[in-house]
Amino acid sequence: MSKKLMKGCEAIGEAAIYAGAKNYFCYPITPQSEVAEYLSRRMPEVGGVFLQAESEVAASNMLFGAGATGVRAFTTSSSPGISLMSEAISYITAAELPVVFVNIVRAGPGLGGILPAQGDYFQATKGGGHGDYRLMVLAPSTVQEAVDLTILAFDKADEYRNPVMVLGDGMIGQMMEPVEFPENYKPKYQDHSGWATTGCEGREPHIVKTLFLDPALCDKHNEKMAAKYRRFEESEIRYEEYNMDGEYEVLIVSYGTMARICKTAIEDLSKKGIKVGLLRPISLYPFPREAVLKAADRKHVKAVASIEMSMGQMVEDVERAVAGTKKVSFFGHAGGIVPTPDEIIEFVSSLAKRPEGV
Amino acid sequence: MDVEINLKKIILFIGNYGSGKTEVAVNFAINQAKQGKTVRLVDLDIVNPYFRSRECRDTLESQGIKVILPGDGYLNADLPIIAPEVRGSIEREDGITILDVGGDKVGATVLGSLAASISRSGFDMLLVHNARRPFTDTVEGSVTIAREIEAAARLKLSGVIGNTHLMDNTSTEILYEGCEKTRQVSKALDLPFLFISAEQRLLDGLDMNRIGVPVLPLTRLLLPPWRRKEKLGPANFLLG
Repeated sequence: MSKKLMKGCEAIGEAAIYAGAKNYFCYPITPQSEVAEYLSRRMPEVGGVFLQAESEVAASNMLFGAGATGVRAFTTSSSPGISLMSEAISYITAAELPVVFVNIVRAGPGLGGILPAQGDYFQATKGGGHGDYRLMVLAPSTVQEAVDLTILAFDKADEYRNPVMVLGDGMIGQMMEPVEFPENYKPKYQDHSGWATTGCEGREPHIVKTLFLDPALCDKHNEKMAAKYRRFEESEIRYEEYNMDGEYEVLIVSYGTMARICKTAIEDLSKKGIKVGLLRPISLYPFPREAVLKAADRKHVKAVASIEMSMGQMVEDVERAVAGTKKVSFFGHAGGIVPTPDEIIEFVSSLAKRPEGV
Repeated sequence: MDVEINLKKIILFIGNYGSGKTEVAVNFAINQAKQGKTVRLVDLDIVNPYFRSRECRDTLESQGIKVILPGDGYLNADLPIIAPEVRGSIEREDGITILDVGGDKVGATVLGSLAASISRSGFDMLLVHNARRPFTDTVEGSVTIAREIEAAARLKLSGVIGNTHLMDNTSTEILYEGCEKTRQVSKALDLPFLFISAEQRLLDGLDMNRIGVPVLPLTRLLLPPWRRKEKLGPANFLLG
């Protein structure tokens, strides 16, 4: 298949079709409405269903229903819309349904603005909805990676019977890049015959529910989910290392679009003689804690910095990973202001001058 | 050497969503300004939230181009705002007015309300075509979209522009292949194929005989935040 130029939102829509998604429910919101626009044309072509709901609350509960049948189903939204979906996310996770959520993050809090941001890191990785649940959270930094991770998200959702969220900042949704779709892809983990509600003629009914009036059973259910999350931590860590071969003085941890801007800054810094490594988490949950610790815990590392399009969210996971062995600094902007390569160069240069950390 | 492209004083760039209308429109505006013309550029994009011509306002203004935008407080709104100056600009007698219209029939709907003034003043509506985009990778798809836009805009197309590219992955081969596809689209629409656009880096190795139409050299002005600004290139169209 020849390369096509696609906008992130369109590419995510096509990737979902490619992964075999048959149901898509959505309520439009900038900057992800193009997924809906695209799929309103494409879903009927592949015999799927695109239903525009009357709100994000409705869309996410349609997804709850569709997910209970074991079909590949998903929804997309942007920050305020995901807040509205949070109740359903908790329910869907409790019901162990293999669905996919995509959040193309815009500036918050509240209505915020339509420009790109990474302020939903906490919401995506640590909750949003109630109860002890986790989403697997995958963060692309290119349109091609958005394709690859969307396809992976469907496989992982089916493998673990747990929702997976693809978290892209607005830039990932809105920018255009050439993409290719992998050849000979086959959906994995498609046998849901043991639990899905597909019509009970000739067998015992399957019941998908989230209510456990017996506390012992509810505790047991939570244990079962926690065991899944331990498997995430063991088997599903994903990250990229950039410029980390030699003796880098500063370690940057950054994800998504922000990591690409950091790469531009790192190239310029190396021309100035300052060597900087970048660790880019791809799975935000499970967070690559050990990898960050290992990367920071080298003699030549003077400083560790988390650089984000937020007021400082992932930095808490970086601090937790580094566990006091090095001082962790933060740089970022919110509100839709994207830190520039020059700002990063200035910030990192000031860290490189600092004497060795704690 | 410059090629005279005789266009009327209102020039509208329309096309499939993501065909590169804005990049072509701003480069064309700069090209015309460098040739000494009075140029106004109207950002009429009511469908895209990012990568609109307003983002390169400073570069355009530095070239003496008047950029007509929604009021300052609404530059980052996803609202269909038409500034009052738009209609005034269309009715001006001097210079040229370039309208950068958002994608598809949805984006072109905005033209419906301005169609009468535009028709009175005389215009050229140009279809920007990228053969590497979904839905316009076939002649049939491109024709369907062109017709839908004409209906929504209540204006008729007068020419076709080739803008086939894959961003940084664009090669001269991709330009030739796209050029051929655009030629077929222009034939199917029975409209003249006016020119193609191509990044400066691709111009040296380009066989102009294979292209067969003039080339507008492009400087990428709508860049993602990790890309450094590029220098503006020469003003001339290359001879075909």
